[in-house]
Amino acid sequence: MLPYLDRKLFRDLRRLAGQAAAVSLVMACGLAMLIMARSLIYSLESTRAEYYQTNHFAEVFDALKRAPNYLIDRIREIPGVAAAQTDLSVPVTLDLPGISEPSSGLVRSLPDFGEPELNRLFLRRGSWLPPGSRGNILVSEAFAKANSLNPGDPLTVLLNGRRQTFRISGIVLSPEYIFESRPGAALPDNRTFGIFWMPYKEVATAWDLYGAFNHLSLTLAPGANERPVIAALDRLLLPYGGLGSFGRKDHPSHIRVSDEIRVLTLLSIGFPTVFLGVAAFMTNAVLSRLLSLQREQIAILKAFGFTNRQIVFHYLKFAFVMVTAGLLAGLIGGIALGHKLVIMYELFFRFPNLHFRLDPVAVAIALTVGLSVITLGVISAVRKAANLPPADAMRPEPPANFRPSFIERLGLKQLLSHSFRIAMRNLERRPMQAVFTVAGLALATALLILPNSFKAGIREILEFQWDVVQRQDINLGLVEPSSARIANELAQLPGVLSMEPARTAAVRIHFQGRSRQIAMRSLLPGGRHSRAVDARGHEISPPDNGVILSAKLAQVLGAKIGDTVIIEALEGRRLVKPFTLVATAEDFTGIAAYMEMHAINRFLGEGDVITGASIGLDMSRRAEFLAALKEIPRVSTVAIKETMRQSFRQTTAASMGLIQTIYLTFAVIVAFGVIYNNARISLAERSRELATLRVIGMTRREVGAVLVIELVILACIAVPIGLLLGTGLTTIVVHSINTETIRLPLVFTTYTYSFAVVTVAIASTLSALFVLRQLNQIDLIAALKAPE
Amino acid sequence: MNPSASSPPSDVTATSVFHVRGLTKIYGEGTAEVRALDGVDLDLNAGEFVVLLGPSGSGKTTLLNQLGGLDLPTTGELRYRETDLTHATQDQLTRYRRDSVGFIFQFYNLIPSLTARENVGLITEIARDPMTPEEALAMVGLTARMDHFPAQLSGGEQQRVAIARAIAKRPEVLLCDEPTGALDVRTGIVVLEALERANRQLGTLTVVITHNAVMADMADRVIHFSDGRVHQEHRNATRVPPATLRW
Repeated sequence: MLPYLDRKLFRDLRRLAGQAAAVSLVMACGLAMLIMARSLIYSLESTRAEYYQTNHFAEVFDALKRAPNYLIDRIREIPGVAAAQTDLSVPVTLDLPGISEPSSGLVRSLPDFGEPELNRLFLRRGSWLPPGSRGNILVSEAFAKANSLNPGDPLTVLLNGRRQTFRISGIVLSPEYIFESRPGAALPDNRTFGIFWMPYKEVATAWDLYGAFNHLSLTLAPGANERPVIAALDRLLLPYGGLGSFGRKDHPSHIRVSDEIRVLTLLSIGFPTVFLGVAAFMTNAVLSRLLSLQREQIAILKAFGFTNRQIVFHYLKFAFVMVTAGLLAGLIGGIALGHKLVIMYELFFRFPNLHFRLDPVAVAIALTVGLSVITLGVISAVRKAANLPPADAMRPEPPANFRPSFIERLGLKQLLSHSFRIAMRNLERRPMQAVFTVAGLALATALLILPNSFKAGIREILEFQWDVVQRQDINLGLVEPSSARIANELAQLPGVLSMEPARTAAVRIHFQGRSRQIAMRSLLPGGRHSRAVDARGHEISPPDNGVILSAKLAQVLGAKIGDTVIIEALEGRRLVKPFTLVATAEDFTGIAAYMEMHAINRFLGEGDVITGASIGLDMSRRAEFLAALKEIPRVSTVAIKETMRQSFRQTTAASMGLIQTIYLTFAVIVAFGVIYNNARISLAERSRELATLRVIGMTRREVGAVLVIELVILACIAVPIGLLLGTGLTTIVVHSINTETIRLPLVFTTYTYSFAVVTVAIASTLSALFVLRQLNQIDLIAALKAPE
Repeated sequence: MNPSASSPPSDVTATSVFHVRGLTKIYGEGTAEVRALDGVDLDLNAGEFVVLLGPSGSGKTTLLNQLGGLDLPTTGELRYRETDLTHATQDQLTRYRRDSVGFIFQFYNLIPSLTARENVGLITEIARDPMTPEEALAMVGLTARMDHFPAQLSGGEQQRVAIARAIAKRPEVLLCDEPTGALDVRTGIVVLEALERANRQLGTLTVVITHNAVMADMADRVIHFSDGRVHQEHRNATRVPPATLRW
């Protein structure tokens, strides 16, 4: 049989069900967020680790122009190298039926016989390449899915300018392309860019690279240091056009997953903290209310010999029931949301088996944090009650002490109605309770700012990236640096309104011991397409000499305007030269360096060449243009802004939308929870007073005004604080999401703020309506019988 | 106010304020059924001072709640002047309480966040023909304590504020539930004097519920209640001044 004290507990709980549920719900939001984020981190990390291990993902990588295969022996001799593997990596253009624009991709070679030692593929569907076969190809899953390609389907590829049709034997995944995107692109475009694998012999023959390699992967011996290996490798491969080797932490696909994990980590700390903080305030409010009602009961328990400890424990149990309910709901919510987000991750990350894995540590943390938070909320309330001598506590609480409120003391008394005076004095008498409510409400308001600010930030990135920085409609990339004459050919294509040549070059930029490897881009003096823009949105005109770095790159290197950075070309004659950092440019994705077109060519010492062009197109002639483009084999990549934008909307925007919806839902729940809870507490605490007002002839509306005015005063104080707090919180979070992959601009719009204000207003109105309804059902007779 | 200014209604021949017939109030159902009122027949007249005596659970408070429009009877007839309270809506009951009834409770039920003057003012703001809060408080002898909050007043003072609050609207009916129940004798007598004065000066029908049989002597009429019915009733030839009462 349940001990009598526990029966009391359950009956008390039933009476306070609404408020207990509100606390549990807010707590559940925080815990769901915590469990979701931690479990996603755990899922991504463990899945990635297993994938890397099972498929022998390499630890150091290098791309080079061309080196003889026998060099592999010397690479293996480098101290610290465990295994090394060479292969070919070449760009291709595709001819896909049904897609007007040329698609492109990378072809990677596989050993003619046997499995590769490193970076092994995972066969999703179909079969491996038959040993020694010709005319077969493996296709990356992301590309196959986006284009509905299946094993057995034909695929037409322009291999080094020669059109060849292959048969797709299998759909595969690679640990090198968990995040599969065009090199340097911030967003995936799986429809027009794919990765393909073919036997070495076939690739080498087509590209005239037989007996040579242009890509290298290796693993390190246990305990070996990466740096000296990279240094030795760079020295060895320098004569062969090595572009500079790099470790896993700089591997583009690896970085993307790591950046996602970093953002999740941030979210797993920041958000739940706020939610749980609100829950603590609410617990304290509910418990304080319960305890003040049960003052006499506590006294009687004590009079009968219950110890303080027993009494504290009794009320802690009350809180534990709320935590348990919150934890359960949080667990279910966290798992459900986690599953949804994992599905979203599948849009970006290609793992053989990415499943949601519940992180047991997260559950333990959630339980501990939940319990601590609520205990914190309970202790202070319970201690006060337990410390009261039984004889004092058994007497009904004397009428509370009131005094004229602050506004009245200012001499404005005449301006206040009775209802307003009651509300003001009541708030002033219990400042801590008012402070807690204001704090809870302010946090709820603050939480409403972040998701919409995020959304506005993303929109700004898009506008900035595609309407301010890159104003062309299409970017073209050439198979290799070509004479500027090809630019004229491109300009003659049908529908071209404007054409600007472009030159990109692989470089490494050094400053005081720090360095970054990037593709440096050219700027055209007076160019209308690609531009560099400063923080205030003004165009930076390219200097004759000197280099412009993106602000993030400058920050990573620690360089300031006027400093001299060393730029090492990783192609051509591989010259190393000092350049003055003349300006920093604003951008939000990746890191970038810009140089004036002629300066970049002077520096590289290759004469007047280009590697691509940007096109302004008459969109009505788009099909004609793309068809003509397919006939120019030297064009290897085509990036159409509209396609990118659309793809972005379907993937990134959709996923951001999901996250934003989740956060917003949670924030709305918190806002409602806090306000509802507060209104319920006021109603319960003052039912006697309000019933008296009703009995002596005040209408429901007049009595309701007393409660509503109080709610309105609290909201009016809390909302501005919440808006400030939200601005601060968002600033911190946005600044923390400041990786080399992506940075969010800090955008606060009127909409963002109005949304928060309106939501809180609606929550307040609904809560007020609810309380008013309760007020109608108040038992006038019972409330008057005796003071509680 | 001069006590002789209005003559006390020594004999009650005035018109009936409340007309009660077969009034029954049943709480619960089946085996849990409780007949709090079991066929009460009663007429209460203007200006009367009526004391309702009876043991706990005899139905006094239930009757008072019906009279005050706080609750509706299960069956029977309950008329206030021309108004049928049995079938009144909640809004009509609110209007009735606001205009015609003054309540006084055992535990005062003042609004703790309002001063004495403001507690009274709360009512005078909404009443049809009120006296000023100052007048009402003067009638109960609290002129000096008008700007004190309830927490700064003694129990007797709080109850006198409650009386001032009840009479400030010049109600036709004053309903008092154990008005001295929480007070000592001396304070209780001060409160009863205030009630008596209000009844005498304003001609308000005053109904007082009490356990205290001594109070019967100050009434025009005494009604004994038991088992939800009027057990017996008698009239006093003269009303004894509260100051002479002792218990």
